[in-house]
Order: sequence, then structure tokens, then C-alpha cells
Amino acid sequence: MESFAANAPGRAPTALGLKLSRLRPWVQAGFLGVWLAPLGRWLHGIPGCVFHCYSCPLSSFACPIGVMANYAALFPVAGELPYLLIGLLLLVGAAAGSLVCGWACPFGFLQDLLGKLTPRKISLPGWLGYTRYAVLLGLVILLPMILGYKGIPFEDQVVSICRLCPAGALEAGLPYSIRSLQAGHGWLMSGLKTGILLSFLATALFMHRPWCRLFCPLGGLLALFNRFSLFHLQFNPKECVECNLCRSRCPMGVKVDQAVNVSGCVRCLECTICGALEPCLAWPEKGLPPNPPPRNAAP
Amino acid sequence: MLRRIPQPPVDPTRRSVERHDFWPGFAALAAGAILAFCGARHVTGLDTVEGNSAWEFQLVKAFSTGGLQYADQLPPPPPPKLDAAANPAEALDRWAKEQANAHPPPWKVRVNAGAETPCPT
Repeated sequence: MESFAANAPGRAPTALGLKLSRLRPWVQAGFLGVWLAPLGRWLHGIPGCVFHCYSCPLSSFACPIGVMANYAALFPVAGELPYLLIGLLLLVGAAAGSLVCGWACPFGFLQDLLGKLTPRKISLPGWLGYTRYAVLLGLVILLPMILGYKGIPFEDQVVSICRLCPAGALEAGLPYSIRSLQAGHGWLMSGLKTGILLSFLATALFMHRPWCRLFCPLGGLLALFNRFSLFHLQFNPKECVECNLCRSRCPMGVKVDQAVNVSGCVRCLECTICGALEPCLAWPEKGLPPNPPPRNAAP
Repeated sequence: MLRRIPQPPVDPTRRSVERHDFWPGFAALAAGAILAFCGARHVTGLDTVEGNSAWEFQLVKAFSTGGLQYADQLPPPPPPKLDAAANPAEALDRWAKEQANAHPPPWKVRVNAGAETPCPT
């Protein structure tokens, strides 16, 4: 094993961190069985909580982002609000924040697997993560709503999240195009969507989870809960030996040594390998000591 | 393999432990549970093609199966078959008058719960 902490030579990775790191791919693979259930299409009336195209021939639940965009486009005509979707996202977000991104999302799992093929990764500045909120507000809510006001149904909107989404291209566009090609009807996917799919696959080889970091509106939404969700990561200063292993292990480029429950985190829990960060559940307790002041607070 | 990347030194004594309070998370969780429960029992203001009110889960399913029907996108009824009509010109004239006097349907959008379009977009 390579020396991982020059300023903490005796520090060994925690058993919990190693166990979680080994367990995560298996949990992700297990969740694939939930989202790709061949007999589960009757669940299409329920939005899921992960990024997964509902047009995929094997998808069980409905894509929450697709449902949100459809509701936005329908709002000018029908004035309906997605109570079920808002409720489920609140429920999942308040319970675990973006834990589902790191442990349950099939599209995140695919990007994790692609990322394992190449050792070196391009690093990105953290502020680029705010583009996810631009996608959420612009492509998922405002644009469908504006075009809906003009009387264009979501299915006929030329520019929409579903027409640009690489998950849709991979999980629905690709199988249907292959089936169409086999039947002699040609390639179904548009050139733009095919290009988006190929660019995404190429980028995922050299950047860890590019979709999650830059564009995923669902990940951005769930990450908003990271600051107060019941499940969270807690820093234990007594265990910290300043080895910086937590930050070194973070595949998302989060500055874990400063704060960990932030919007850039997908809660893969790789940082728990250092021992100073522990996964825990908020519980109503009394008499807890107050948090020490943050790093940049005035003395 | 575990590696350590070079980075600025950290100061654990000045860092927040990031302990989460229970009640904000619990309040959001409870609100989510109530909304999800209400959403599951919510009857929307839209009708189904059978004439009943559509449940919210029927509407969500219609999104993924191309099950929304817009009134302004309904195709007009086909013209009469002129070969079968006794007086083709009169039948065509009657059909044109019916089209001119046709009223728009009372609904703007309705839900076809039985739609099976594999990929609406």
C-alpha cells in the first residue's frame, strides 16, 4: 500500500471506511435491480428519486426530472402541482440528502464504472456545480413553462431536458435506435442526442461523474438538503491527525477538510476512511456542546 | 490504493463539527411524508378519456407513455367515404357544414391512462 499521509505516518484507514468503500458498488448494483425491473412498469405512476429515464424499456419508476418538466409544461393549461413528486423528494432529501446519488443512482453508478477505466482525472473548480441549478431552473422549470404558455405540449418542445438528457439517450434512445436499426428503419436518435451521448461517455472517462458535477438537476436539488438532512457526516476533531486523507479520497473534489455537508457532495462516504468523519443520524438530544466557530469566523 | 494529494494544511480545532439539529430535518421529512400521502390520494382537475377524474399517479404515468391528449391537437373526423354515399356531393357538403359548426370539446387536456407510446419525446 502506498504511503498516503506523510504527516501522519502511523495512520491506518478505518475499518468502517474500507467496508463502506467495498460495499458501495454492490449496493449500487443491487439498486439497479430496483430501477431496471422488467416487470415493474406498473410503477410508472410513481416518481423515483434517482436520475433514470422513464422511457427506458426496463424502467420501473418515473423519472422525477421528466415528471417535473412535464408538470411545468402542463401548468399553464391545467394548473396542476406535483404533490407526490414534491413529497417524495422532500422525504428522501430530508432523510438522507444526496446519499441516493452516491449509493442508489444508476446513472451515477455508470459514471463510477466508466471512471474506473482511466486513472487520471481532470479536476474542476467547485463553483461549476452551480450550473446544475441553472439547468434545474432554466431547462426543467422555466423553459417548459414558457413554451407551455405558448401552447406547445412538452412532447413537441424542440428544446427540452428530455431531448438533451444523456441518460435518456443511453437508456431509451440507444435501445430503441438499435431495435429500429435491426428492423431496417434506420437510426432513431437525432444527431444532437447521439453527439451528447458520445461526448458524455468520453467525458466520463476523464472526469469523475461529469453529469453529477455539472448538470444533474436532481443531484443539485437533493444536495440542498445536505446541510440539514437527518443522515449526515460529522467531523470529530479528536480523531483528526491532519493527514488530509479525507480530501484526497473525495472523488467529487469537495474541500472536505473545510466542510463536508455541502452541495458538491454525493455522499459516497469515501472520506470516512480517514476516521475523523463519521456517518451519523441526527437525533433529538439535550446538553450537546455547541459547534466550535467555523474557520473563517472572526475571533 | 490510498493516495494523498498535496493541499494546504488543515486546522481541525477551528473547524465546525457540522452536527445537524434533529428538528429541521424531521420537519422537512414530516412535510414530505404528508405531501406524498396527499399526492398519492390526489385527484387532479383533469379528466381521463373515459370521463372520470384522473388520479395524480395516472397523470404521472401519462407523461411517460404519451398519454396526454390536447383538445387543439385532436385530428378532425375523416371525410365520408364518397364511394359508399348515395349522393357524394351532398355527403361532402354535410360533412363540411358539420366541421364548420363543430364546437371545441369542453376540456383542454385529458389523460389517456391506456396509452403505450414507448418514448414520447
